Amino acid sequence: MAKLIFLILTLIPILCTSFSPDKPSDRRILVLVDDFAVKSSHSLYFKSLQSRGFDLDFKLADDPKIALQRYGQYLYDGLVLFSPTIERFGGSIDAAAILDFVDSGHDLIVAADNNASDLIREIATECGVDFDEDYTAMVVDHAGYAVSSTEGDHTLIASDDFIKSDVILGSKKIEAPVLFQGIGHSLNPSNRLVLKVLSASPTAFSANPKSKLTSPPSLLGSSISLVSVIQARNNARILISGSLSMFSNRFFNSGVQKAGSPTKHDKSGNEQFLTELSKWVLHERGHLKAVNVKHHKVGETDEPSIYRINDDLEYSVEIYEWSGTTWEPYVADDVQVQFYMMSPYVLKNLANDKKGHYFTSFKVPDVYGVFQFKVEYNRLGYTSLSLAKQIPVRPFRHNEYERFIPAAYPYYGAAFSMMAGFFVFSAVHLYNK
Amino acid sequence: MATTAVGAAFLLLLLLPFCISISQPISDSHRSAASNLFTEISPSLEDAYEALRVFEILSIEKKPIVTKDTCEKVLENLGSSSSPLKDVFYALKVNGILKCKVDDAVFKDIASRLKATVHDASTLLDIYYSVGSLALIKDQASNVDVLLTDANGVFHSIKALSQSDGRWRYSSDNPDSSTYAAGLALEALGGVISLASSEIDQNKVSIVKIGIVKLFDSIEKYDDGAFYFDEKSVRGSEHQGSLSTTSSVVRGVAAFAAVTSGKINLPGDTILGLAKFFLGIGIPGDAKDFFNQVESLSFFESNRISIPLILSLPETVHSLTKKSQLKVKVNTVLGSDAPPLTVKLVRAFSTGAKNSAIIESKELQYDQESGLHFLDTLPENVDVGTYVFVLEIVLHDSESDKVYATGGQIHVPIYVTGVIKVGSAEIAVLDSDLGNIETHKTLDLAGNDVASLSANHLQKLRLSFQLETPYGRVFKPHQAILKLKHESKIEHIFLVGNTGKKFEITFDFLGLVEKLFYLSGKYDIELTVGDAVMENSFSRLLGHVELDLPEAPEKAARPPPPPVDPYSRYGPKAEIIHLFRAPEKRPPQKLSLVFLGLILLPFIGFLVGLLRLGVSLKNFPGSTIPATFATLFHLGLAAILLLYVLFWLKLDLFTTLKTLGLLGAFTMFFGHRILSYLALTSSKLKSA
Repeated sequence: MAKLIFLILTLIPILCTSFSPDKPSDRRILVLVDDFAVKSSHSLYFKSLQSRGFDLDFKLADDPKIALQRYGQYLYDGLVLFSPTIERFGGSIDAAAILDFVDSGHDLIVAADNNASDLIREIATECGVDFDEDYTAMVVDHAGYAVSSTEGDHTLIASDDFIKSDVILGSKKIEAPVLFQGIGHSLNPSNRLVLKVLSASPTAFSANPKSKLTSPPSLLGSSISLVSVIQARNNARILISGSLSMFSNRFFNSGVQKAGSPTKHDKSGNEQFLTELSKWVLHERGHLKAVNVKHHKVGETDEPSIYRINDDLEYSVEIYEWSGTTWEPYVADDVQVQFYMMSPYVLKNLANDKKGHYFTSFKVPDVYGVFQFKVEYNRLGYTSLSLAKQIPVRPFRHNEYERFIPAAYPYYGAAFSMMAGFFVFSAVHLYNK
Repeated sequence: MATTAVGAAFLLLLLLPFCISISQPISDSHRSAASNLFTEISPSLEDAYEALRVFEILSIEKKPIVTKDTCEKVLENLGSSSSPLKDVFYALKVNGILKCKVDDAVFKDIASRLKATVHDASTLLDIYYSVGSLALIKDQASNVDVLLTDANGVFHSIKALSQSDGRWRYSSDNPDSSTYAAGLALEALGGVISLASSEIDQNKVSIVKIGIVKLFDSIEKYDDGAFYFDEKSVRGSEHQGSLSTTSSVVRGVAAFAAVTSGKINLPGDTILGLAKFFLGIGIPGDAKDFFNQVESLSFFESNRISIPLILSLPETVHSLTKKSQLKVKVNTVLGSDAPPLTVKLVRAFSTGAKNSAIIESKELQYDQESGLHFLDTLPENVDVGTYVFVLEIVLHDSESDKVYATGGQIHVPIYVTGVIKVGSAEIAVLDSDLGNIETHKTLDLAGNDVASLSANHLQKLRLSFQLETPYGRVFKPHQAILKLKHESKIEHIFLVGNTGKKFEITFDFLGLVEKLFYLSGKYDIELTVGDAVMENSFSRLLGHVELDLPEAPEKAARPPPPPVDPYSRYGPKAEIIHLFRAPEKRPPQKLSLVFLGLILLPFIGFLVGLLRLGVSLKNFPGSTIPATFATLFHLGLAAILLLYVLFWLKLDLFTTLKTLGLLGAFTMFFGHRILSYLALTSSKLKSA
C-alpha cells in the first residue's frame, strides 16, 4: 500500500508536465511514419526534438492501434505526419480526427512528397494549403537549383527566400540556402491565417520534370510556397512542407551551393531552418500571455466599477513570452489598448518598462455607455492576445456640473438681490407706520 | 500487407536520388558519420560490441569507447555464473575485438556451462547464444575444449524448428515462423558445424541448403533491383524492420556458407540486390541500423557465395563547356579495390530516342593512379540532353566470374549540359491587319538592355529569339515562359513555342483584351528560359509595353484582387485620440461683472427709495411675545434665503429641500402668529 502511494506521488509530477496553459510547449508528440526507416534516415531532426525534451512516440501510420484520444482526453500534444503516401490511417484516425485535434489547440507538422496521397492533400487543403493537383509535378527551378554532380534534373532546389520574422525563424540569420525536393503548394487567398515561410524563387515552376510543358504551369514563381505555417485562431500551429526529404539527415548534412552563386556552404540551412521552425510550431517561441490587467483613476489604486466621462485613468497589463522553459518579459513598442464601444474611441500605444509591464493613461471620452478596454495584439508569428474588459461610463451627476459660472453672475445677482429686496420689503410692509 | 507495400514504395522514394540504378559504396562520409554516431559511452555490451564492430569494419583508428571500462564489464559478465546468456555472448564478442585479459579458467567454466545449456535449451535464442558463445571461445582460447560431442543432436534440435518455407520458429511451442529467426538459426547451425567433434551428416546440411534457397524465394524486390527480406508477422514481442531482418538473414547465410563445403546455390543478382539494398539506405542515423548495414555489407566483402561489385559514377552531370570526362568507379561494397576488370560502355542513347544509340560498344580506359575508369572525350554527336549510358563490367580473369557478381548491364542516366546560344532576339509592334512593323527593337538577351514600347488593342506584339545547342542543333527548353505583368501586379503567363530554332510568340491584343481584363497601362515583359541541361538558364525583364486598351464593357470579368502583402496585416494601427466636445462660448468675466453691478442697481435704488419715503418700523409689536414671534418669523425668512444662498454655494437639492421643509414649517408657524397678531391689532384699531 505504502509503495502504491509512493508510486502515485512520484507519478504526479510526471503527469503534471503535460501540456497546460502555464507551460504551453508541447510534451508528447505522436510521429506517424510510412516506414520505420524514416526514424533512422531522419534521426537528426527527431534527435533535435528529443534533446529539447519532447517525448516522441513513433508509430506506423497504418498501425491499427493508433489513437489520438482516449476517453475524450487527447493522448498527445502534437502530431507529426511523416507519412506522405498513406491513403488511410490505422485505428480511429482520419482527416476529421486530425482537424479536431488541431481545433482543440494541438500542433501539427505535415510533410508531403511528390507522391503525396489524397488524404495528406485533403488535410493540407483544410488548412488552407493547396498542393499542385498534378500528381507528377514537382517544383523545378532551372535557375535556383542546388549544384550537384549527381542530380541533373533541377528538382533539388536551394531556396533562401525566407519569411522575415525573427519569432518564426529565430533571431540568427540563416546563411545557407535550404535544400528542398518535393511538391509546391499555393496558399488559399481567402485564408488569412496561413503564411509562406519558404517561397520558391521567381524562376521556379511546378511541373513534371520529365515531360515537356504543354500548358502554362498552374504554380509559378514566388507564389509557390515550399513550406508554410498556419496559426489557427486558437493558437494551434501547423507546419506544412512539400518535401519530406528536407527533414532527412542527408539534406541536413549535405553541403549546398546555389546555382549562379560562388559561395559553397559546407552545410545546408535545413537543420537550422527546420529546428528553429519546429521551436515555433511546438510553442517554444512566440507564445504570449497577458496577466494583471489593471485600470484605475489617476491617483487611485482600486479599480472602480464605473467611470465618469472625462475622468483620467491609467491602464496597465503585463505581457510575457514563453521561452520553452520560463516566462520571459515580452518587450515591444507596438502594444496598443483600445477604449472601445462599437468602434474604438481611444487607441493608444502602451509604454513599457522593458520588464513586461505595459501602461498608459488617457482621459475617458465625453460619451457615456458601456465601454471595453481592448488589447488586440496580432503580430506575425506571435500568438494573438485578445483581452477585453467591460467598464461602463456615466455622464456627470446633477451636482457635478460647474456651479460658479462667471457668465451667470448677473442671473445669480438678480436672484439674490430679489431675495434681499423681498426680505427688506416684507419687514417694511409689515411694520411700516 | 499494405504496410509492406506502402513502406516499400516509400523507402524506394527515399532512396531514389541514390540509386536510380547506381549506388555509392561506403565512403569517408560513412566513417565520419560513424564517429559522430557512436560517441556516447554505450550502456550495454551489445551496444558496445556494435560500436566496436562498426569501427573495426570501417577501420577507423579512433576507438569509440573507453576500453578499460568495457573490459571490466566483460570480465564481470564472464566471471559471474549467473549472467544471462545474451550478456555472455556479447561479452565474448567484445572480448574478440578488445582482447581483454581473460583467464583460461574462466573460459573453461563458461564453456562447460554453455555446453550444458546447449543440450537442454528449447528455444532458438538460447541455442543461438550458447552455440555462438562456444564458437567465440573456440577462437579466443585455443586450449579450451569447446567441441560438442553430440553435434548431430544439437543440429537436429535446431533443424526441428524450421518450417517448410525456409523460415524458422523461435521455439517449439510458438507456431509463428519468422524470417529473422531463420537468420539466427542458420548462424547457430554454422556454429554447430564448426564446433562438431565428428562429421555432421552431409544430408542434413544439404537439406538446410535447400531451406536457404527456399527462404530466398520469399525475398522481395524494389523496382531498382534492390532485394530485401521483410518480416511477415508483426505479432510477437518486437517487430523487426526490413533492415534488421535482411541483415539477420545475411549474417546467418554467410556464417553457414563459411563452414560448409560446396556452394550454396544463390544467384549473383540476388546477392548484388541485397548489397544494393544495404547501400541504398544511405547513412542511417540510428546506431542499430548503422551496425546492421555495415556488418551485413562486411559479409559481402568476402564470402563464399558471391562478391558483389558496385559500379558508381562520381558525377552524372557532364558539362560540355568544362569538357569533363565520364568517370566510372568499380569497388566492392566497402570501397576496396576490385579485381582487374574493364568497364565497357555497351551503348548510350538519348532518353527521347531509345532505339537509336549514339555510342556503341566502347571500352573505358583505366587510370591506375586514381583507380577510375574513364571515357576520354564524348563523341561529337553527344549534344546537350539527357542520356542513358549502358555500362557493363568485364572481368579480366574468367575464374573471377564465379566469385564476383557484377549485375550485367547497368543503366545510368547522364545529363550532358552546355551553354545554349541565345540570339536574334527581337521585339516588334505590328499593325493588326497588314502586319506592317511599326516599331522594332533588337535585344541582346545576354545583356541588360530593356525595350520600351507602346501599343493599342488594334496592334500586335511579337517577340522572337533563337536557341541553339553548342553543336548547332535545335534546342527546345523545358521552360520557355513569357510573363506579362501589369502595374497592379496581375500576371499573365504564356508559353513560347518554336518552329525549328526560332521561338516566337505573337500577342494579338484584340483577342487578348478580355484576358487582360481591359486593363490599360504599363506591362512588364519578362522572359524565363530554362532547362536541366542548359547552363545559362535565365530570367530577365525584356522591357515594358504601354498598352492602350478600350474601356471595359459592363459585363466584363473583373480583375482578381491583387494579393495582399502578409506583413501589412500585422502592423500596429494608427493611434486614435478622442475629440472632446468644445465648451460653449462664454462672455468675458469682466462683462459679466459689469452686468452683475447693473443688476444690483435696482436693489440699491429700492433701498434709497425706501429711505426717501421715510419708512419706519414703528408698527413692530411692543410686547414681548409678539415681538419674539416677529423676530423668529423674520429669522426664519432670513434662514430660508440663506439656505438658498447655501444651495448655490454647496448644498444639493435633497438637503436643501429637507431643510427647507423644516424652516418652512417654522416660518409658517411664526408667520401665522405674527400675521394674526398684526391683523388683530389693525382690526382693533379700525373698530376703535
